Amino acid sequence: MAMNVVVCVKQIPDPAAPASLDPVTHTLERSGKLILDDSDAYGVEMALQLAPTDAGNEVTLVSMAPNGETSGLRTALAMGATKAILISDPALAGSDALSTAKVLAAAIKRVEPDLVLAATESTDGYTGTLPVQVAELLGLPSVTFAKSVSVDGASVKVERQTEAGYDEVTSPLPVVVTVTAGVVEPRYPSFKGIMAAKSKPVDVLSIADLGIDAGQVGAAGARQEITDVSEAESRSSGEIVVDEGDGAARIVSFLEQIKVV
Amino acid sequence: MRFAFTEQQLELRGAVRQVLARECTVADLRAMALGDRHGGAGRTHERWSVLAELGATGLLVPQAHGGLGLGELELVGVLEEAGWAGLPEPLLESAGLAAPLMAAADAASNGGAGSVLGRFLEKVAAGEVVATVGGIDVTSAGLVTTTTPSPEVTQGTVVTPRVTGASVAGVALVALNLPGAGWQLHLVEADPDGVTTTPSIDPTRDLGTLEWSPWPHTLIASGERAEAMLSDLADRAALFSAAQLLGLTERMITMAADYAKERRQFGKPIGSFQAVKHHLANARVALEFARPTTYRAADSIARDLADRSAHASMAKAMASDAADLAARVALQVHGAIGYTWECDLQLWMKRAWVLSAAWGDAPTHRSRVLSHAMAAAAER
Repeated sequence: MAMNVVVCVKQIPDPAAPASLDPVTHTLERSGKLILDDSDAYGVEMALQLAPTDAGNEVTLVSMAPNGETSGLRTALAMGATKAILISDPALAGSDALSTAKVLAAAIKRVEPDLVLAATESTDGYTGTLPVQVAELLGLPSVTFAKSVSVDGASVKVERQTEAGYDEVTSPLPVVVTVTAGVVEPRYPSFKGIMAAKSKPVDVLSIADLGIDAGQVGAAGARQEITDVSEAESRSSGEIVVDEGDGAARIVSFLEQIKVV
Repeated sequence: MRFAFTEQQLELRGAVRQVLARECTVADLRAMALGDRHGGAGRTHERWSVLAELGATGLLVPQAHGGLGLGELELVGVLEEAGWAGLPEPLLESAGLAAPLMAAADAASNGGAGSVLGRFLEKVAAGEVVATVGGIDVTSAGLVTTTTPSPEVTQGTVVTPRVTGASVAGVALVALNLPGAGWQLHLVEADPDGVTTTPSIDPTRDLGTLEWSPWPHTLIASGERAEAMLSDLADRAALFSAAQLLGLTERMITMAADYAKERRQFGKPIGSFQAVKHHLANARVALEFARPTTYRAADSIARDLADRSAHASMAKAMASDAADLAARVALQVHGAIGYTWECDLQLWMKRAWVLSAAWGDAPTHRSRVLSHAMAAAAER
């Protein structure tokens, strides 16, 4: 049975370059060139392993980014994904995680996937809430923190990372699964892949194409507002004790003070 | 005309940079430099298969033989990145020199996919076999063979020294020049007993002497055709060495500039002193002047222009000069630490010294440029 997999991918400012915040909205500047979030490469690789595209399966990338940015999508297409859907609309500027989830969910619905993969969180935003919001909006179950994923007929089996070890979770398809870094080793895009990526379809959609009202998304629909940004307080340096014969006693008195002994 | 790389050419290059940043680290190079003393080849096989998956090993191989059928402009970018990363494997020799030579010989012999050359070419493209070239050097007087002794008859053992990649290559294209009979090009299959390792000043360089026997069935070209193919090879060798030298030079300048920002003297980073800055700027200028000549040579060879040999020699002369200058400046900026094994600079510097002298050094190529210019003037 041919599988239809969607991978949510985020295109982010290069983490190696210095990042800056918009002085008015306090949101991350995303106007420059964007690249594929490293943490999403694992989802793309997982999708390509579960649904090899040369065997008739489809791997569709879904991404939301400003200015019709496709550089990061091209990287994932070069790895082997079949096609991409990009939602780019000026009205989306200032979107919070929930607005983004609404947009991605609307786009994913069009593909009618068997499986939706996403990273546990993005490298630039780190909210880690988007995939489960997407699942909720689509009315699908979600399994998070997968360290291993396998598909067997109409169900997915996931080893879900926990603090103590891992849970074995089975869910019927379709389902939203978030994968951890290291779930698989992402392949390098090959020269052939890079050349082929040029001719792969990238659907660029506006929110009107998805039937979404501008008031529901972007800064207008955001349920969060960043009111202030300040530097993290630098830690004060600790006390240096010079041992003048009373070192041991002073360590003990310090430990007593913090109620360790 | 638009003289800039296409987006795709830049992307291919970026892919190589990304791959080599992980697959060819300083730690890998150091392990290899030490391993060579103990007979190990480091992660050569692993790295070669990653390069093959990428498509680098078959970049110039025609698509009919499983390659990508791309051109010199693409490979120049790849080799610059190989220089930057200090890649020790013979990518230049295998993908840049041996592969197109085999493809040309195969096309001339009307071999098709089933021919011996064709089958080797497929394996070279797939990364299953490393290929190299030997027996030829570039001098100001022209091409000379390094293969000795030139046998009176084709049967008998001949010796070809200084073959790069000798111990990892599964096949070598070796030239010899027979008195009276002229140039010959032979396809020599690997025989581990016939390889003697030669120490190189660059400890990560795999250099060796081949002992082999020319037979009628190893002969793939002779006479004028062999000479034309070897002249073509010499152009590519100059071009691709220049490309790799650009990457090495860029890395040495970057290392020296980084060090100059870090190392403090008289209470300031040494990079703030003009005497240091000017040295680095001179090396950078030499590099930026060498770069466009290399790209032009790639374009001339790709389009087989009449001036291709002159352009290739110009590129090699300028890239060799830039690399020699950058090595000297980087060493001086580093001070005494630059002379040590512990300083990473040595890995790139020794590679630059070797490559700057290989396939004709700067004076050799300058005199070749002069000969081309004189010949062109005489024709007018």
